[in-house]
Amino acid sequence: MPLSLSLSLSLSSKRRTKRRKSKAEEDQPTNPELSFFFVFHFWYFSLKLCMDSILVQDVISDLPQSIVETILTKIPIRDAVRTSILSSKWRYKWANLTHLVFDDRCSSLYNDKGLVEGNLVKFITRFLFLHDGPIHMFTLSSTYLQGSPYIDQWLLFLSRKDVKELVIKLGDQEWFRAPTCLFSCRKLTRLELIRCELDPPPSFKGFLSLKCLVLQQVFIAPDKVENLLSSCPLLESLTLSYFDSFALSICAPNLKYLFLEGEFKDIRLENTPLLIFVSVSMYMTDDTAEHFEQSSSCNFDKFLGGVPCLQRLIGYIYFTKYLSVGNELGKLPITYSHLKIVQLYEVSFEDMKEILVVLRLILNSPILQELQISSSSNTSLATEATDLDFWENECPSDCTFRLLKSVKIADVSGVPHEMEFIKFLLRNSPVLEIMSIIPSSCVTDGRINMLIELLRFRRASAEAEITFTQN
Amino acid sequence: MFFYVTKMKSYIWVQTADGLIQQVEEEVAMFCPMICREVLQMGMGSSKNYAVSLPQRVNPAILGIILDYCRFHQVSGRSNKERKSFDEKFVRLDTKKLCELTSAADSLQLRPLVDLTSRALARMIEGKTPEEIRETFNLPDDLTEEEKLEPLRNITDDPRIRLLNRLYARKRRELREREQIKNVEVEEEHGDERSVDDLLSFINGGNGDSKGVKGTKTKKKSRRRKDQPRGCSSINENGNHKKDSAVGTFSTKLELDDGDIDEELDPAMEEELDREVEDFARRLNCVWPERMQKILTSSQESRRLLPIPINGTGSLKRYTAKFLLLDMPKGTVLFRNLDDQQASLRHFVSTTPWRSEDLVASKSLRV
Repeated sequence: MPLSLSLSLSLSSKRRTKRRKSKAEEDQPTNPELSFFFVFHFWYFSLKLCMDSILVQDVISDLPQSIVETILTKIPIRDAVRTSILSSKWRYKWANLTHLVFDDRCSSLYNDKGLVEGNLVKFITRFLFLHDGPIHMFTLSSTYLQGSPYIDQWLLFLSRKDVKELVIKLGDQEWFRAPTCLFSCRKLTRLELIRCELDPPPSFKGFLSLKCLVLQQVFIAPDKVENLLSSCPLLESLTLSYFDSFALSICAPNLKYLFLEGEFKDIRLENTPLLIFVSVSMYMTDDTAEHFEQSSSCNFDKFLGGVPCLQRLIGYIYFTKYLSVGNELGKLPITYSHLKIVQLYEVSFEDMKEILVVLRLILNSPILQELQISSSSNTSLATEATDLDFWENECPSDCTFRLLKSVKIADVSGVPHEMEFIKFLLRNSPVLEIMSIIPSSCVTDGRINMLIELLRFRRASAEAEITFTQN
Repeated sequence: MFFYVTKMKSYIWVQTADGLIQQVEEEVAMFCPMICREVLQMGMGSSKNYAVSLPQRVNPAILGIILDYCRFHQVSGRSNKERKSFDEKFVRLDTKKLCELTSAADSLQLRPLVDLTSRALARMIEGKTPEEIRETFNLPDDLTEEEKLEPLRNITDDPRIRLLNRLYARKRRELREREQIKNVEVEEEHGDERSVDDLLSFINGGNGDSKGVKGTKTKKKSRRRKDQPRGCSSINENGNHKKDSAVGTFSTKLELDDGDIDEELDPAMEEELDREVEDFARRLNCVWPERMQKILTSSQESRRLLPIPINGTGSLKRYTAKFLLLDMPKGTVLFRNLDDQQASLRHFVSTTPWRSEDLVASKSLRV
């Protein structure tokens, strides 16, 4: 645009000089420069008037700050800061951002890690120093930053700014130790800490507004976790990942979403009446296995005893095993009247107790719609079907899965109990639409036998489609 | 006998800020939370008198665009892929429309559309240089060089930022020099004998001694001028204490041969003119009127003569000098206002959009 302007100006100035020169030839101007200045002056102003109407106005600078924030949060924060040299209106638009996301893009990458770390620290420190206004969200996610004194200072600064959402995810060389000022962020509604050391001070009364807590690879004493959880009355979503040898008792009256992953020795859901989603992944070590065998209390009741509103349950490796531990299985009548989706992985169909767990779960879920099971049976161990009458004994003859539409069973090896289970499902699901069976990759010979058996099973649903996926 | 039954569509009356009342299909309009709330909670929209009054930022043209968006998305049977491709085509608007659309969608609380348009605007900002962004959005470049540099200096080590800093430092220095020249001009309005160049010696005959005294001064000035058009790498930032790079280089530049001054001034001058042409367009709004004022007033005081150091090779200078030497009594005025005239030439030449070719081409020049 400037170029075209200068061209047009030069073109018209060419015309002007021609006119001028003719004038000069005719009569002697007394003050040629002055007249030239006047001519140009006049010309400039008329052009300016003209241009103002042709030029499109600058609309974006007048948008309300909330929209500008929406736009600036969609670009990396470094680019957002660079907008300050665009024009006088944009000088401090970046400084009023309330959602801050800092990551490794804030610094140009060099080979020298120390240099990158230094740059990141400089950038974030300067940014926070120049920032103006409240900060609602602060995310720091960097593999270069380890625990450093600057992070403590930043957290102190943020705690004074009433930050609401805090996500800190740092490198794994040396875990960052959360300073006590973290616990004075009163207005926190979401806290995500990854790879850090947490030690709430005794005077900590809890995060009274916290709704979402994610602790992953956090080093914290078990009783402190329980205190933390019980002191957050509004907690709705809890994620605990990679915890070691934990015995946990969760008391959270508003909890709706629970994600657990780690080597838990014992989980008790003491007071979680509103829970609607549970996803558990239990890792087993020798200690925990031993502990299981010695345990007398019924894990199933401890865990799934007080969750009447449960809508979806996902259990990964060893979860069913965990639930199967304990005596008095199946004594307590519980109905999961909202449970729609059940996904259990690595269920061992050789262990009767595990099968009982599964049965108990699905038999007490009247509105179950979707079932996904993956088996972890080992064909080499499977011998004759020992107690096939188990199925007639345990299952009531009149049970019907009224709403079960989709079933997926993976890693099927043809173990007798697996086939019985499939038979059981097919016989009692009148609205079944699809039953998808994926054979285990270890089994190649037994597939034909499996198929022959499958063909024979009676189906209650005329619509049922059985797919056998070979890959 | 077949009866064709058309489904009766229900309409809602809406009124835009300019007073225009129109009907829109109900299901389309209800896609906007704000309209939905007005209809359901306040009972508006049922008739022309009770039209839902839309927020001020929604004008009829933009309303039409928003309704197109709603009409597509309120149909539930569309796949995600279809919706995505529609969205991508939808945001191919010019920036002004896009900004108005964002603003209108925000006032109607249509969050998905706000996100979509914001993302499109963000794409226009991300990764672009400031000039490109200013071009896209017609932003005025109205920050002074100082403001641009502070307080974000060194916030990143991006080479682009460093180059930008250097460019701005260079501009700042030029500004300062012009200030100095202006000051000099004000102070030394009735300056003493200053020698200048070949033209003056030609015109004035035997004033070579005084010229010699001034020669160094002008040479120094032109040397500084020569430095600036050179590439960024040789420029340092005078005011920037933190920069360690090129403080040394500037002082070394001063140690140049006297001999090649005159030859190199010509391209230097031309290059500077070229740059000033571009700067002119930028500075259109702020600086020109006051400068014009100054030039006009000072031109009335003294007859201005704008001699540029000339040598045989510089056609520009010859013609300029010729052009501007019209009707000047030989000798008398030149000396008195030499510096002042030099400065005003620089002023004049640097702030006009005239290219040197124009001056060269003007045939009315005569000595």
